[in-house]
Parts: sequence; C-alpha cells; structure tokens
Amino acid sequence: MESEIFGQHISRKFNEELERLRSQVSNMGGLVEMQLTQAIEAIVSADSNLGLEVAKRDVEVNRFEVKIDEECGRILATRAPAAADLRLVVAVIKAITDLERIGDEAQRIGILAARLAGEAQQTQRHDELKTLAEHVLEMVHDALDAFSRLDAEDALRVVEEDKLVDEEYDMISRQCISMMMEDPHTIRRFMDISWVARALERIGDHAKNISEYVIYLVKGKDVRHIEIEELRERVEAKRP
Amino acid sequence: MTNWGSVFLRLFLLGMGGLVIGALYDRPLAGLLIATTAALAWHLAWLYRLDKWLHGKKMEVLPEGSGIWPRVFARIDFLRNRGRRRGRRFKLLLKQLRQATRTFPDAGVILNDRNEIVVFNRAARELLGLKKRDRGLRIENLLRDPAFVAYLRRDDVAAPVEIASPMNSDQWLSCHAVPYGFDQKMLLVRDVTDRRKLEEMRRDFVANASHELRTPLTVIAGYLDALADDKTLDAELKQPVAEMQTQTTRMRQLVDELLRLSELETERAVSKPAAVNIRAVLETARQEVLALPDGPRQVDIVVDSDSDLIGNVRDIQSVVSNLASNAARYTPAEGRITMRWWTDADGAYLSVADTGKGIAKEHLPRLCERFYRVEDGRERVGGRGTGLGLAIVKHALTRHGARLKIESELGKGSVFTCIFPAASIVAIA
Repeated sequence: MESEIFGQHISRKFNEELERLRSQVSNMGGLVEMQLTQAIEAIVSADSNLGLEVAKRDVEVNRFEVKIDEECGRILATRAPAAADLRLVVAVIKAITDLERIGDEAQRIGILAARLAGEAQQTQRHDELKTLAEHVLEMVHDALDAFSRLDAEDALRVVEEDKLVDEEYDMISRQCISMMMEDPHTIRRFMDISWVARALERIGDHAKNISEYVIYLVKGKDVRHIEIEELRERVEAKRP
Repeated sequence: MTNWGSVFLRLFLLGMGGLVIGALYDRPLAGLLIATTAALAWHLAWLYRLDKWLHGKKMEVLPEGSGIWPRVFARIDFLRNRGRRRGRRFKLLLKQLRQATRTFPDAGVILNDRNEIVVFNRAARELLGLKKRDRGLRIENLLRDPAFVAYLRRDDVAAPVEIASPMNSDQWLSCHAVPYGFDQKMLLVRDVTDRRKLEEMRRDFVANASHELRTPLTVIAGYLDALADDKTLDAELKQPVAEMQTQTTRMRQLVDELLRLSELETERAVSKPAAVNIRAVLETARQEVLALPDGPRQVDIVVDSDSDLIGNVRDIQSVVSNLASNAARYTPAEGRITMRWWTDADGAYLSVADTGKGIAKEHLPRLCERFYRVEDGRERVGGRGTGLGLAIVKHALTRHGARLKIESELGKGSVFTCIFPAASIVAIA
C-alpha cells in the first residue's frame, strides 16, 4: 500500500522495500500468533507433543528476527531514511524484538505445557488460564492489526487492555497461592501454572509495547512510560 | 457534407460582397475586412453560446436551422444523452451486482498482483474482519496465519487452505484463491466450522467406540481360548469354536486398525522422526509374506539407493507391511512380489509390485477409502483384510508429506508407489 504517511518516494524501489519490510513484520507476527495459539492449546488440551513442537519451532521466530534486523540495517545504510520512513524502520526494529520475546514466552509455555500434561489430572481444565490466554492472544492480534493498518486509535485500545490483563494475572496468582496453601502436594503444579500466567502477562506487556510503537510511528510521539490519560490526549491531538 | 459546402459558399459570397461594396467606395480591402470580421463575430457568438451551454447553462430548445452550428449542438446533445443513459444503466447494474454480492454467504476479496485488497463484499467484513479502509493493504498483513501466507505464495492454489478465523479462533475458514483477469486473484472464503465439527465428532466417535469394543472382545477371546483348549468339549462344537476364534481375531484386528487410523488422523506431525532402516523394514515385510500359508512364494527386494528415510519407524513399517500383505492377498502362490527402494534428485520411492489380478480402472480413485472393496469376488476365501489397510497407508504417508501412486493393469498386476519428498532422504550413517 502506498499509504499517505509514507507518500510517494522518488524511488519506487524504496517504497517497495518499506512495504516488504512491513509485510515481513506481519509474517513474523503471524508465526508468533500461531506459536502462541498452539502453546495455549497444548496447555488446555494437555497435549505434551504439541507443547514440545511449539518449543522447537521457536528457532524459526528467532531466524525471522535476524532476517528483518538485517533488512532494517541495510535500509538505514543505503537509503538513509528520514521522517516517517525513519520512524517506520525504528519502530520495526523495536517491534521485532518484542515479537521475538513473545515467541520466547510461547516457547516457555510450550515446555510448561508438556510438563503439566505429564502430571495432569484429567479433571483440571485450566479455565482461568484460558480466559487470560484468550485475552492476551486478542491483544497480540489487535496490536499487529494496528501495525498493519497504522491505526493509532486501535493501538491505544490495546494499551488500555493491558490493565485488565494485569488484573487477571493478579487474580490467578492469588488463586494459585491459596491452592498451594490448602494442599502442599500441589505446589509444584501450581508453580507451573503461575509461571504460565506470568508468561502470558509478559506477552500482554510486549503487545502493549508494539502498540506504543504504532502510536509513535503514526503520531511521531514517544508515548512510553506515561499515564493512560495523557496518552489518550496525545493520540487524539492533531498531528503537528 | 453538403452543409460544409454551403458554409464555404456563404463565406465566399460574403467576402465577395464586401469586396464589391468596398470597391464602390474605392476601398475593396476594407470592405473585405469588414465582411470577414462580421463573419468571425457571428461564429464567435455561436461559440459563446456553445461554451455557456456546455458549462451548465440550461437551454430549453436547441437552436435549429440549416447552418453548421445547430448541427454541432444537436450532435453534442445526442452524445450527452446517450452517455447519461449508459451511465444510469451501469449504475443500476452495479447496484444490482453489489446487492447480489452482499447476500452472498461466502466472503469474496479481490486482490491485485501484489496481493493488495482491491474490493471485498460484506461477508468478508464478518468472516475476515476487514474494514472499509483496508483497501490497498496487503492481505497477508491482516490474515497472518502462516499456512495462509504460504498458500498465497504457492503457485498451485487449486487445493484450498483451512485456517482459523482471525475474528474468532473457534471458527474455521476455507480459503481458495482463484486467479482471474490480468494478474488478479479472487479470494473466496467459506465458513467450514460445521464440517470440521462433524469430522471431529466422527473421529472421536470411531476412536471411543473402538476403544470401548476392545475390552469385551478381549474377554470373549479369553473364554474362547479356554473353550478351544477344553478336552471335554463336544466334538461337534469344535468347528464353531474355531470359527468364532478366527472371527474374534479378525474383529480385534479391525478395532486395532480403526484405533490406529484415528490416531493417525489426530496427530499433526510425524512423531519421533528418525532415520528408518528401509532394508530392514523391507526384509521384515518379506518374511511376513513368506510366512503366509498360501501367499506367493517369490518375494524380491531391489534396493537402488544408498540412503535411508527420515520418518516414524512404526508408520513406515505399517505402510510397507500393509502394501505387502495386500499384494500377497491378490497374488497366487506362483506369482511374484517385488519391493523396490530407490532415490533420485526429486525424492525417494518405495514401491510394491505384484503379478496378481490387477485392479480395474474405475476402482482406483476410491481404493484408499475405508472399507472400500473391489467387488468382483476375486478375493480368495480366508484372505480377507480389514478394509482399512490402504486408508492407514494413505494417512501415514500424508503425515510424511508423501503420496501414493497406484498403477494397475487387469490380469498383469499392480504397482503401489510411495513418493517421498527429497527433504526426507538421509544418507546411511
């Protein structure tokens, strides 16, 4: 797409390079989304094979990061982009780091899923984890959509979502603690579950980061480490 | 073009008149000048009217007359009306078309050569979550499922790909890209959740039912064994008990194969892939065939490769043994079975050829269906298989990214060839 903020360049080829860069980020995002979906499925359906499969596939995510990183370096070196183009490249470099971390967390969840499946009582359905996981998955999905559409409002919504995820995480860890106190035999098991919840909560943070890069990219403002209200004002303000 | 002749004639007469009148006053050129200026002014006046008319001034009646200007007016008016009529017709047609695509239950997205979204219908909004402003975006930036992205990049898009909906992960979509026009693609997306659910239910049912049947069968088989060993058993009951034993064994085999098949269907990838010693697998199958009481006596193994196969040992074993026992079942004792293993740059090939009766052409496409039988009574008594062998072969091969090729000629024999991708070959360590 020749979207308006990356207007026509004199060099058509440069345009295509930037477009390809965005597609690559989306492709990497797609892979990460799949990893996360399958890791969660491995937990919910106690499928240890699937969990290990996810863990093994993480190298593909890492390879993707290296590839995109190189591409960004090449564009910076050869095209010396300015303004919106530069912001795009910078945002991509940052976003892929977060995507790679999401991949790492998915890998961790996969390994934990394999372990949990090994000692699972069939009755345990992990319903509380499922809700949190679906929430987080949606955040990642929406953050990537916002990146594709360059939509600051959608990105802002993802940032706001993160609060809910944090609350859900708190609830699960409190639940885990009370279960552990009730029956010390389950400690190991609930430790694992709280690790999964922790990983999901971290993924939510990474999704939030990606959304912040989208806002930076579209509005040209750094919106990290500020309060939500102020952030909303900045997004709603007209572009300078 | 008689009109144009009169235009020139009039101009000429006017010029001549001016010249003559000017000559009367001793100034012929001045007369000509006045006459031509008058003609020019007249034409300019018409041009002025034309310009006003074209730029929006309504005209109740079109100017009439025999001159060139009314003709021009009439023609422009005609073209204009025709254009308007056509425009209205196209607009109507487009509206009807839009309404039709809107009611279409499947999502349709038109993509250009760079896979950018050109237009889409209403169902695409609901199924794929596309928004109006997504026009011009690359589809793969929004539908990021790696399976879908790989499908779009593939040259062969004939077989649709199934992905989870980006809107709702419980919903399954079948995506089919149909190339059309010049470098364009129509992406058709259909909701196949119901079909998948049905498939899942069938799979679960078969798996659960087979599992539940196993226990009672074991009990029955146990008592039958005890009965058969019983020396005090009536002589006339011996034959029925033996028959019951054979049938129970067959039933257990059936249940086991059903279970194996549903296992193959649910697992996505090859579990525990490792280098499989093909020679050993072929030799085992050979021994199995030779151990059959009335199977063919001649079984050859031809190996023309110094490579092995990467895969699941159990799967490959069941593929080979199923193919070999099938071949044995349809080949008389004096016939021959040849098992081959060879590799080339494109991949690896494992074939089982027999000199049996062969299979009629019309049965070939359905051969791998469960319980499909070639009904011409050509099976020998007692040699009945479960009817699941080839289904297991097909599923096991699919999981290895391989496919099965069946060639057969009635009266001459059949060749079953498994074709593995080059990626699954490994040199013998």
